[in-house]
Amino acid sequence: MLLPFLLALHAVVAALLPPLARVLGTRVFVVACLPPALTALWVLAHAPDVVAGQPVTSAVTWVPALDINLEFRVDALTLAMVLLVSGVGAVIFGYCARYFHTGERGLGRLSAVLVLFAGAMLGVVSTDNLFALYVFWELTSITSFLLIGHDDRKEHARRAALQSLVTTAGFGLPMLVGFILLGQIGGSFRISTLVADPPVGDPLLPVALVLVLAGAFAKSAQVPLHYWLPGAMIAPTPVSAYLHAAAMVKGGVYLVARLAPGFAEVDPWRALVLTFGMATMVVGGWRALRQDDLKLLLAYGTVSQLGFLTLLAGTGTQVAATATIGVLLAHGFFKSALFLTVGVIDHQTGTRSIAALSGIGRRMPVVAGAATLAAASMAGLPPLLGFVGKEAALEAYLPGGDPATALPSGAAAVVLVGVVLASVLTVGYSARFVWGAFSTKDTVAERRVPRPAAAFVAAPVSLAVLSLAAGVLPFAVDPVAQGYAAAFDTSGEPYHLALWHGLTPALGLSALVLVAGALLFHRRVTVARVQQALSRWPDADRGYHGVVHAIYVVALRVTRLLQSGSLPVYLGVILATLLALPGARLVMALASGDVAPPGAGGNELRFWNTPLEGVVALLIVVTAVATVREHRRFPALILVSAMGFGVAGLFVLYGAPDLALTLVLVETLTTIILVFVLRRLPATFGTRPDGWAKRLTVLLCAAAGTFIAVSLWLMTAARTDPPVSLGYTSLAREAGGDNLVNMILADFRALDTFGEVVVLATAAVAVTSLVLLRRSRVVEETDPGPDETEEERAGARTGEGERT
Amino acid sequence: MNLMIAVPFVVPLLGAALALLLRRSPRAQRVSSAVTLAVVVAGATLLLDTTAGGAVAVTQAGGWDAPLGITLVVDPLSALLLLVSSVVLLLVLLYAVGQDISGLSRAMPQVFHPIYLVLTAGVCLSFMAGDLFNLFVGFEIMLTASYALITQALTRERVRASMIYTVVSLTSSILFLTGIALVYALTGTVNLADVAEKLGGAPPELRAVLALLFLVVFGIKAAIVPMHFWLPDSYPVAITRISAIFAALLTKVAVYAIIRTQTLLFAGDDISSVMLWIAIATMVVGILGALVQDDINRIMSFVLVSHIGFMIFGLALNTVAGIAGVLYYLVHHIVVQATMFLVNGLVRQYVGHTSLRSIRGLTAVSPVLALFFFLPALSLAGMPPMSGFVAKVALFEAGAQAGGWLVWTALVAGVLTSLLTLMAIFRVWVRAFWGTPLPDMLEARAELRRGPDVAGRRVMAVTTGAMVGAGIAVTVGAGPLLEIAFTAAEDLLDGDAYIEAVMEGAT
Repeated sequence: MLLPFLLALHAVVAALLPPLARVLGTRVFVVACLPPALTALWVLAHAPDVVAGQPVTSAVTWVPALDINLEFRVDALTLAMVLLVSGVGAVIFGYCARYFHTGERGLGRLSAVLVLFAGAMLGVVSTDNLFALYVFWELTSITSFLLIGHDDRKEHARRAALQSLVTTAGFGLPMLVGFILLGQIGGSFRISTLVADPPVGDPLLPVALVLVLAGAFAKSAQVPLHYWLPGAMIAPTPVSAYLHAAAMVKGGVYLVARLAPGFAEVDPWRALVLTFGMATMVVGGWRALRQDDLKLLLAYGTVSQLGFLTLLAGTGTQVAATATIGVLLAHGFFKSALFLTVGVIDHQTGTRSIAALSGIGRRMPVVAGAATLAAASMAGLPPLLGFVGKEAALEAYLPGGDPATALPSGAAAVVLVGVVLASVLTVGYSARFVWGAFSTKDTVAERRVPRPAAAFVAAPVSLAVLSLAAGVLPFAVDPVAQGYAAAFDTSGEPYHLALWHGLTPALGLSALVLVAGALLFHRRVTVARVQQALSRWPDADRGYHGVVHAIYVVALRVTRLLQSGSLPVYLGVILATLLALPGARLVMALASGDVAPPGAGGNELRFWNTPLEGVVALLIVVTAVATVREHRRFPALILVSAMGFGVAGLFVLYGAPDLALTLVLVETLTTIILVFVLRRLPATFGTRPDGWAKRLTVLLCAAAGTFIAVSLWLMTAARTDPPVSLGYTSLAREAGGDNLVNMILADFRALDTFGEVVVLATAAVAVTSLVLLRRSRVVEETDPGPDETEEERAGARTGEGERT
Repeated sequence: MNLMIAVPFVVPLLGAALALLLRRSPRAQRVSSAVTLAVVVAGATLLLDTTAGGAVAVTQAGGWDAPLGITLVVDPLSALLLLVSSVVLLLVLLYAVGQDISGLSRAMPQVFHPIYLVLTAGVCLSFMAGDLFNLFVGFEIMLTASYALITQALTRERVRASMIYTVVSLTSSILFLTGIALVYALTGTVNLADVAEKLGGAPPELRAVLALLFLVVFGIKAAIVPMHFWLPDSYPVAITRISAIFAALLTKVAVYAIIRTQTLLFAGDDISSVMLWIAIATMVVGILGALVQDDINRIMSFVLVSHIGFMIFGLALNTVAGIAGVLYYLVHHIVVQATMFLVNGLVRQYVGHTSLRSIRGLTAVSPVLALFFFLPALSLAGMPPMSGFVAKVALFEAGAQAGGWLVWTALVAGVLTSLLTLMAIFRVWVRAFWGTPLPDMLEARAELRRGPDVAGRRVMAVTTGAMVGAGIAVTVGAGPLLEIAFTAAEDLLDGDAYIEAVMEGAT
């Protein structure tokens, strides 16, 4: 099928847009329209099959070893989402061509990222593989990050972008772990397989679901993770309309709806979805009531509606599922229409503040009409799609409304109260929006504003008309809803989306909601006073910043503690680790008796083979201790070489005169070279450890030495096989030599010798280049910044970075 | 006898000798070094083909059979790492050539090329050594070259950094040598395959001591916590090309050595809980360090430390899936780390440093540079669809399969680390790439555009682009790469194929 190509088309067009933008200016958005428009047409062409229950599928393999494959499956739920993502997307892109001014900064980048986002979102809603879903999901996070930070010169935009990324991607990570768990206990990473045959009963399933829901809730801005969404309103208005109304924030709802057929019955799915959904619905609605910025009003309204949708999508009954599709589409249409209206108002008047707008309705009647229509749909007025959806939603929680309801009646009643309460708030802020944007207020001076061009207004008007048309003709939308809801238990008569169900309790509740909402709007001054009094609620945004700040404080402390910059400390830590890992293991083994000290049989502890060894050993020990105690450089060097000669003496005693000779040569040469170096250095060592540092050093070194010595003793005693070196004797004749050491160096292990020669040659070349490098040729690759002082650099070294 | 195996070690050394002879004519030297590394890339490609399906290619150096002679072994793991490393070495060399042409670094004496090629030989030998002492020699060649490289273009800061680097490395070498002595004491041999067989009869507790000792030895070089501090104090201070190659390769060679020794020699020894704790500490401590740094190179160095923890985590699982994940992670990280440091080198063109305090608005200064930063940054942060994401999924999947409370703790630490990595890296993006460019950055850009050395800078940009492309190739080719990784991991955990191939015809 075409879908992978359509996705690729998004990417290709995105790559072409930045160069095109230089030529086309704002008309570049018309090109940007192409991929989503084609996608919408394609999905509409397949709609009859899809709603009939025949999903369109295709797959592209990527990493089969990990089950990361780009599998696609377009069913009824996907169809609804694609209509929003690509259909509404295309309309909004067209609107962009009028909204932005030619010469606006970064148009090419903006359009490219928008198209990439559209592609990513299309991927989210059409893929059938958990990993692919995650891939597209985080792609929407990243593109959204870039879009929110579009005007990156504003500090506020940068902060909001980072906040939304950290929140959505940060909670995406637990979701990824949840996906992995889900796939492993379910035996497949294909979503359709998992939903059809959920691994119910597995003790890890609830864990997996909680993790997945965490990601979905963050994406769909559920309380208390909703704080990023209002912040994201810093983005250009069409971007907000698209990302934060139609598409991205629906990602979480989509995921809940996608998994609900398989997992709604598993604890604690319903408890979580209903609790968080309800809290979000009410908090969002309440806060929307008091916003002055029209865009923020809509943002909080969106938070509220997202709670509503999460609740519906997660309930997992046939009626709720039908309502989900209805409300999903309704919200996509009316909310983007309203955002675009705000865009028009902002564009023409330069403000979005309710307190500064007056008389706009008279200046822009068409816009006002469209916005009123959309707001009516939001409030749930008949005959708009919003009403149809809300009727279905009320029906889902009414006692006896849904014969197959799986909710305990108590819970259903609580949810019903919550839905009604939130709907009342919704009516209140819908009315406040229309009044605030378009009414003529006595207290505000009217300004003359230019009338918007017809093409500019076309987008919000068409979306508002869509709200009306779909409401009047619900049977156009109903098949999609039925196609999705069929996945749930339909033992009774399936519920259909319709304008008129007769005189039902739901209709009564709708009427009640409208009346109460109207009252709320009428009493807006009192409401404002109550809100003022209650405004000291804990703020989730402050919580976010508190957590981030705490992370930085911990990071600073830990790094300052560990990154001391002192070489002796570093070496001490290495020795301590040596003692703590293999050292402690050896002690434990000895203490538990797993490794016995070698006993009789030639392996018992002897002090020496000949007393001469004792003498040489004593010499080595004495010179070693004296070296460490010596604080003048030259005597220390002499002591070190004396120690080297002692070691050479040991070689002689063990019958290796060649080695001893070599070592004597090396020691002599080294000493001579170092004497030359010492001439240029101060006579004494600059710093020496003292007090407890000295004691600790001595202790560490002694312990490390003891560990090595004891290990050597034990391991020699435990030797498993005769050493391979015995084999050299017979081979030496074959090789044509009789000095074994020479044969090993020059023939048997010549590669090692060659390697060491390379080491020496490299060292020689390096030293020569350093010595011969004339001072004049030392030009730094880069100059340190002129304003950077030594202290600052030292500060950076110890990790004193500034906190953000 | 397979002479192909000698190519990655011998050819760079020949090239080094040639480069030393050609030091008076820079142009000829550049060509010969690039050709040398291209030959190594070709050789590594052929070797990867030879080992397809899990075959093990062996050469007994000097014609003396194991365990008396020295064996060079190339299994799928070695071949994969040889290929990736040689590609990165080649690209970084080209970048350095561009830098030299552009005249941005007059300080580099002509010995850079020979020493760089010696480093290549050391890295390759380490990947192929089938002998513990020969592995030590490979490390020594690599490290000596690295001492020489890190002391290039000395400033006071670099003297201090190279002092720390050299002394810590030497300490690790001494412990390595001690470990070899202990192994010889216990088994009487240093051939890896032979040691593996003979350790089977040794007391398990002593084997565990050796396993931990080698973990410490290579752990120092791999910069695992608590032995990581030297890395952020030394790598970022070196000049671009050198910190790029150090960050990309040197720690990874040590990780390779950990993988090889822990799977082949100490397979039966359960030190995985120790390794898991180390993994947790490394991931978390490293990334906490990255969060509070001010210099982009230092941030990347701390991220490097942190992500070594991910590799130790996968290795500690001791399962095919875990080790395959580590192998893919290695490949991903080699490419991405190198890219990051090269990009930082490009940033230096505009501001002369990499301190976040005075870089703003790079996106406006150079959109291409922004793209070059953004893609590997996503990858490093483990964000889809880049290779870092695939690598993370591979490790997380392996972890979830293995289970156990400690593994889950490590997994949670991994999730936390991923989030903090995202914060650390996007902090760089937000602060350096967004905002209004500083006036002197725009001036620097105008000057660079007018400058006579455009050709060299173009070479730098193109090689950086090629490196970004390599990262994308690792992403797109994740399927086949993971297949190789799984084959290699099966080989590693089985061990028999390796031992048989080496000991064939042994006396």
